[in-house]
Amino acid sequence: MAASQKNIGDVLLKVDNISLSFGGVKALTDISFEIREHEILAIIGPNGAGKSSMLNCINGFYHPQQGTITFRGETRKQMRPHAAASQGIARTFQNIALFKGMSTLDNIMTGRLLKMKCGLLSSALYKGPAEKEQIEHREFCERIIDFLEIEAIRKVPVGRLPYGLQKRVELGRALAAEPSLLLLDEPMAGMNLEEKQDMCRFILDVNDEFGTTICLIEHDMGVVMDISDRVVVLDYGRKIGDGPPEEIKNNQAVIDAYLGVQH
Amino acid sequence: MAFFLEVLIGGLMAGVMYSLVALGFVLIFKASGVFNFAQGAMVLFAGLFFVGFIGLGVPIWLSVILTLVVMVLLAIAIEWLVLRHLVNQPDIILFMATIGVSFFIDGFGQSIWGSGVSQIDIGIPTDPILLLDGEILLQSFDLWAAVVAGALLIALVLFQKTRIGRALRAVADDHQAAQSVGIPLNVIWIIVWSIAGMVALVAGVMWGSKLGMQPAIVGLALKALPVLILGGFTSVPGAIVGGLIVGAGEKLAEVYIGPFFGGGIENWFAYVLALAFLLIRPQGLFGERIIERV
Amino acid sequence: MSETSAKADGRDPSGRDTIPKYIAYNAQHRRDRPAMREKDLGIWQSWTWGEVGARVRQLACGLAAAGLQRGDKCAIIGDNRPELYWTLGATQSLGAIPVPIYQDSVADEVQYVIDHAEARFAVAENQEQVDKLLSVKDRLPKLELIIYSDPRGLRHYDQPFLRSLDSVMEQGAAFDKAQPGFFDAEMAKGSGSDIAIICYTSGTTGRPKGVMLSQDNVVKSANLAIAFDNITEKDEIMAYLPLAWVGDNFISYAESAIAGFCVNCPESGETVLQDLREIGPTYFFAPPRIFENLLTTVMIRMEDAGAIKRGMFHYFIALAKRVGRRILERKPVSLRDRLMYALGDLLVYGPLKNVLGISRLRLAYTAGEAIGPDIFDFFRALGINLKQLYGQTESTVYLCLQTDNDVRSDTVGPPGPGIELKLDPDTGEVLYRSPGVFVGYYKNEEATAETKTPDGWVHTGDAGVFTDDGHLRIIDRAKDVGRLNDGSLFAPKYIENKLKFFPFIKEAVAFGHERDFVTAFINIDLGAVGSWAERNGIAYTSYADLAGRPEVYAQIKSCIEQVNRDLASDSSMVASQIRRFLILHKELDADDGELTRTRKVRRRIIAERYGDLIQALYSDATSIAVDAKITFEDGRTGSFRANLRISDAETYSAMRKAG
Repeated sequence: MAASQKNIGDVLLKVDNISLSFGGVKALTDISFEIREHEILAIIGPNGAGKSSMLNCINGFYHPQQGTITFRGETRKQMRPHAAASQGIARTFQNIALFKGMSTLDNIMTGRLLKMKCGLLSSALYKGPAEKEQIEHREFCERIIDFLEIEAIRKVPVGRLPYGLQKRVELGRALAAEPSLLLLDEPMAGMNLEEKQDMCRFILDVNDEFGTTICLIEHDMGVVMDISDRVVVLDYGRKIGDGPPEEIKNNQAVIDAYLGVQH
Repeated sequence: MAFFLEVLIGGLMAGVMYSLVALGFVLIFKASGVFNFAQGAMVLFAGLFFVGFIGLGVPIWLSVILTLVVMVLLAIAIEWLVLRHLVNQPDIILFMATIGVSFFIDGFGQSIWGSGVSQIDIGIPTDPILLLDGEILLQSFDLWAAVVAGALLIALVLFQKTRIGRALRAVADDHQAAQSVGIPLNVIWIIVWSIAGMVALVAGVMWGSKLGMQPAIVGLALKALPVLILGGFTSVPGAIVGGLIVGAGEKLAEVYIGPFFGGGIENWFAYVLALAFLLIRPQGLFGERIIERV
Repeated sequence: MSETSAKADGRDPSGRDTIPKYIAYNAQHRRDRPAMREKDLGIWQSWTWGEVGARVRQLACGLAAAGLQRGDKCAIIGDNRPELYWTLGATQSLGAIPVPIYQDSVADEVQYVIDHAEARFAVAENQEQVDKLLSVKDRLPKLELIIYSDPRGLRHYDQPFLRSLDSVMEQGAAFDKAQPGFFDAEMAKGSGSDIAIICYTSGTTGRPKGVMLSQDNVVKSANLAIAFDNITEKDEIMAYLPLAWVGDNFISYAESAIAGFCVNCPESGETVLQDLREIGPTYFFAPPRIFENLLTTVMIRMEDAGAIKRGMFHYFIALAKRVGRRILERKPVSLRDRLMYALGDLLVYGPLKNVLGISRLRLAYTAGEAIGPDIFDFFRALGINLKQLYGQTESTVYLCLQTDNDVRSDTVGPPGPGIELKLDPDTGEVLYRSPGVFVGYYKNEEATAETKTPDGWVHTGDAGVFTDDGHLRIIDRAKDVGRLNDGSLFAPKYIENKLKFFPFIKEAVAFGHERDFVTAFINIDLGAVGSWAERNGIAYTSYADLAGRPEVYAQIKSCIEQVNRDLASDSSMVASQIRRFLILHKELDADDGELTRTRKVRRRIIAERYGDLIQALYSDATSIAVDAKITFEDGRTGSFRANLRISDAETYSAMRKAG
C-alpha cells in the first residue's frame, strides 16, 4: 500500500553513533540510521526500547553524550528545540502537548509563529503589513483545518476535545510550520479503529501532497507495515533492524525481540 | 451622598495603585505560570533606581530610560542565573526561587541607594479638585494615577494580541509544546520579566510620588494578592477591576463599618474579602482556571 | 414581484416552464444579488446570480462537449455543495436528467441506482464518493464518465473515465466560445413536460423506486408554495438536508431559482448549527429531530447557567408558553401580557433565538414524522412561525401545509394550494390530485399503476381523517388501519400513541378490528409508576404486583378516560374510545418476540399469545387468571400464575373540542 512509485530522495537526516544515558541508565547505545527525503520511516520496538528518546534527540529536547546528527548536510552535536523547529523539524508528542486553553485555530496558528516575517520584537504593532500577514497565515491554517476535517471544532478550546481530535489538532499544529521533517510520536496511540484509519489517511496524504518526510513511532504493527517505506527497530536502546517492512517482518532478531516482550 | 461618593472615589483611586502592582504579577503568572513573589521587591528596586538617578542630577526622561535598562538587565540576570536552570521543574520550585530573588533585589537595591525614605517629584500636580460645587474633594494626583493605569492597561491588552503575546500564552500553557513550535523559552522569559520590570517602574514611580520611596512598599505590594484573587490570576483587566474593588471596598468598609470594630479595618478588609471570594469563585472574576500552580 | 407571482395552477405568467430558464432569468435580472454562499476555509464565499448563471452555462457546455445528450441520466452524489447544485442546472439545461443519490449510501446502493437509472455520467463531490463509484464501476457498463468536484487525494487516480469538474468547465468555456448559440438553443428546447429529475425513494421494503418528476411538477408546485408563504428573493436558507432528498431539491434548487433567494451551504455536516448562527436564515426546513436538538442545547445551557438567569428563563418561558402562540397567531392578549412578552423578548427570547441562529427566521417547516407537541409549542411560543407539512416525493414534496394563523401540533393542516385530497371510503387512505403528481416510477409500470389510479388520483399509503374544520390528521399506515363492526375507522397506532404520551404508560396495544368496540392492553412504566407509588406510600413487591394494584388501575383509568375525551372531540374517532382495558402482568419484551428490536408492537404474536386475555376483554369478566411464561435473563424459562383485573373505562358522546 505504501506508494512504491514515489521517488525517495537523498538523505535528509543522518544519525551517527548516538548514545544517550540518564545518570547511569543507558537509553540509547550507538545508534545510526538515515531518514531519506519523502519517505515514511517508522521506528518500532518494545516499550522502553528508546524510541521516544530517539525522537527527543532529533528535535533537541535531549542532548546525546556521543554521536552526531546531520540534518540537511549540517552536522551538530547539540541543538535547542526551538532551533530545530526553525530548521524545519516539527513534531507531535506521545502525551499530546497542546495549548489547552487556546482554540483549535489558535493552536494551529502558533505553528505558524516561525513563518511570520515580522520579527518577534518588531511585530508589537498589529496593524498594516502585520495584519495582512496575519490574514495570509490564517488562510494557510484554514487549509490545514480543511485538510484534517476539523472545521467543526475550529473555535473550541482544545482542552475540551476528545483525545482523538486532540491528536489531530496536534498534527495540524505541526503541519502549520510547513516542516521538511515531521516527527510523530505514537500518532495513533489510544485511538479506535476508525480514528486510526483516518490518521493513517492523513499521514499518507501529508506525505503525498506536501512531500513531507515523516518519521513516526508506532506500536500498532499493522499500521506500521501498511504505511511506512522503511522500518528501524530498536530494542533496549540498540538498533536491531533496519529495512523495508517485508524484510523486517522476517527478521529473526526482530521476531525474537517482539516475542520476548509481552504487548 | 456626596460624602459617600467622595469616599468611593477616593477608594477607587487608591485601588488603582494596587492594580498597578497586581498587573506585574498577572503578566508573569500568565506567561510562565509562576507566581512571582518578587514583584513587590521589583517595585521598590525600580523606584530606588529611579530616585537614585534623579538624585544624581540625571533628567527625569533619562532616568526613566536608565531605570528601564536596569530592569531589562535584571530580567536577563534572573533568566540566566535562575530560571534557565529550572526549566520543567515543578512550579513550587520556581515559586521558591522567586522568594529568593525577592530578598536579593530588596537588599541589593537598598545597599546601593540606602534605605531612607526619599520623595519623588516628577511634577505630577497634587492640588485638589472640587466636584459637584465643592461637595466632593479629589486629589488630582489620583486622577493622574488613574490615567496612567488606564494607559498601561490598554498597552498591555494590545500587547497580548501581538505575536509575542501569543507566544507568551503558549509558553504559559505548555513549555514543551511551545519549544517544539519554535518559541525560544529563554527569550520569552526575558521579555516577560522585562515587561514586569517596566510595570514595576510605573508602579514604583506612582507609589513613590504618593508615599515616598521606602522599603515598606514591598509589604504594601502584597495587597496585590487579594486583588489577584478577586480579579483572577490570569486576567489583565481582572487586575484593574480587582484593584478598584479592593480599594473602594476597604475605604467604604473603614468609614461605614469601621466604627463598629474600633477602626483599622482597612488593613485586613481586603484579605477577608479575598477569602470570601475564594469560597465562592476561586478562579476570580475574570480568571480562566483555578490557581493550581503556586 | 408581480412577475413571479403564480397563477392558481402554478403556471408562471411569464411562460418560464423549466428551472434552467429561471436561472437564466435571474442571471440577467438579479445579476448582482447573492445566489449561493458556501463556507470554505472559514470564510463565506459567495456567488451572485450572474456568476451562477455563467457557471451553469459553462458546466452545461462542458458536459455537452463530453457527450451528455438530451434524455441521458447523470447521477449526482455528495454533500450540499454549490458545484452540485450547478450540475443540476447544467444537466437540466441540456434536457438531460439528474439523478441525485444519497451521499451516505453504501457502494451497493449507489450501484443499484446508477444501474437502474442507466446513468452515463456521474458527478461526485470528492474522493470518498469517487472511491465508492470506482468500487462498483465494473458492474456499471453504462457509466462512461465520472466527474469529481474536489480534487483532494485524487491526484494519482489515472483512470481514463475520471475527470475533474474544473477541466469539464474549462472545456465548456472553450465549447461555448466555439458555439455561442448552443446553450441558449438547448435551453429553449426544454419544456414543462420534460422529466426534471428522478428521485430514488428509500422504500421501507424492497428496492428503491425512481420517482420521475417533470419540470411542470416542480415549477408549478414551487410557484404555488412560494405564493402561499410569500417567499421572496430576500429570503435566506441553509441547504443542509441531503441533496438527494426531494425536499432539498425543491427548496434549495427550484424555489431558490424561482423566488431568487440565496442558498447557503454549510462547511460540513458537523458545523451546521454554527453556520446556522452565522447566516441566520429566514426560511428553514428541518425534521423534528433538529428542533429537538436545538431545544436540548438550550436546556443543557440553562442547567449550567446561574440562578438568576435560570429563574428569568423559566419565568419568561412559562409566560411565552401561555401567550406566545396567541401573539404569533394575532389573537387577543391582555396589554400586561403583551408588555411582559416584549420584555421577555428583550431579555430571554431575543438572545436565545440569536444563539440558536433563528432570530431572523420567519418561516420554518418540519415534516417527516410527528413532532412532539412540547417541542412544537416551545418554538411557537418563542415567536417562531414553525409549521408542519405533509407530503411525499410522489406529490413533489407537499400535500398539506399549515396556514400561518391556524397551526396545531396534532394535524398537518388543510390541503395545500392546488391540492385536492380525498379519503378512500373503505380504508381511510389519503388520495390526492395535484399539479405535482409525479409522472411515474422509472422503468416500473406496475408500481406506477398500483399507485396512480386511471383518473389521476394517487395513493399515499397513509390513513388519515379530516377534522371537522378540514385539517388532515395522519393516523397510521393505511395497511394497519381496521374497521369496527359498525363500520367506523379503527387506527390502533393512533390510539396507542395517544396513550403512550402519558408518562405512566410505557406500551399499549389497542384491539378493535372486526369487534364491537375498542379495548386495550396497557404496560405500565415501572420507573414512573414505581416512584409515584413510593411517594404515595403504596408498597409493592414486583412488577406484576404493582401492575395489579387497584390504585394503579385508577390512575391508568383516568389516563384512558382523558384519551377518550380527546377522541370524542373528533367526529371520526368517537367510536374508537376504549371501553375496557387491562394492565399486563409483564412488560412486553423484544426478547419474548412481542416487540420488534425497534420497539414496535408485533400484533400477530401478541394476539396469538394473549388470545384468552383478549377474549376476556370482550366478555363480562372482571378478572382472568393467567399462566404466564417468562424468559429469564439467562435464557431459562419459568411460569407463574396471576389474576388480572379487567377494568371498564368511561366513554363519552361526541363533543366539540374545547378551545
